[in-house]
Amino acid sequence: MSLLHIILPAKMDNLATFIQALSKWLKQHGMAAEKIPRVQLAVEEALVNIIRYGAYEGQAGDVELRGGIADDQRFVIEILDSGIPFDVYTLPKPDIHCSIKDRKVGGLGVFLIQRMVDELLYRREGDKNVLTMFICRNNGRSSGSRQDMHAGA
Amino acid sequence: MEIDVKKEGQAVIIALTGRMDAVSAPQFDKTVDDFIDQGETQILIDFKSLEYISSAGLQSILALAKRLEPINGAVILSDLNGAVKEVFEISGFSSIFPIYDNLDAAKASI
Repeated sequence: MSLLHIILPAKMDNLATFIQALSKWLKQHGMAAEKIPRVQLAVEEALVNIIRYGAYEGQAGDVELRGGIADDQRFVIEILDSGIPFDVYTLPKPDIHCSIKDRKVGGLGVFLIQRMVDELLYRREGDKNVLTMFICRNNGRSSGSRQDMHAGA
Repeated sequence: MEIDVKKEGQAVIIALTGRMDAVSAPQFDKTVDDFIDQGETQILIDFKSLEYISSAGLQSILALAKRLEPINGAVILSDLNGAVKEVFEISGFSSIFPIYDNLDAAKASI
């Protein structure tokens, strides 16, 4: 079983369930331990934006989290929702150099997602927003350093 | 997230443990709002045991600082580690808050 697939209503009460399932799945499939909080952060920010700002005409719609292995180096994670179109690339970049007084509260979520993943794509597919994240398994380290164990078996 | 609070001299010391995310950050807001309502202005936050923070947590810290600024208060942070430290650096929060390596140094700054 290599795929992660969870669909739940877009509610804050479900955030922990998404994050716990994601973390377990990443660990099982060999994501470097120090990278797991980065992926958790990217996914939390995306889910929270959908829960807070995705408009579902008065009722909570569903959010879908999918995970898969893109290739031998990368995981792919997709988050789908049927809220209003939300292209992450249309947002202004936050000013991260201003003082406490001038600093805006908010607007950091997408910025953090972009910094946590190796590639981020957005598309509108039918009535759904699809956010796709590619994340390398390791911190740029070669995974080919394992010794051949047959000799000692 | 666990929130442990103690008063030491002029400062309220808040030690955070676990994860400060969109679900737990409102707990923190409530705690600090109560202290400010009681007249406290010097808030020291000990991050030693905090392992994770998201933008919701950052927003809470910034909102606290914005509330304290007009009343000459201060938010002082100590002992940021790992993923929490990285998020502070990426978001530029490391350069707008006084951050100390450990709690003793943070206390000495007040």
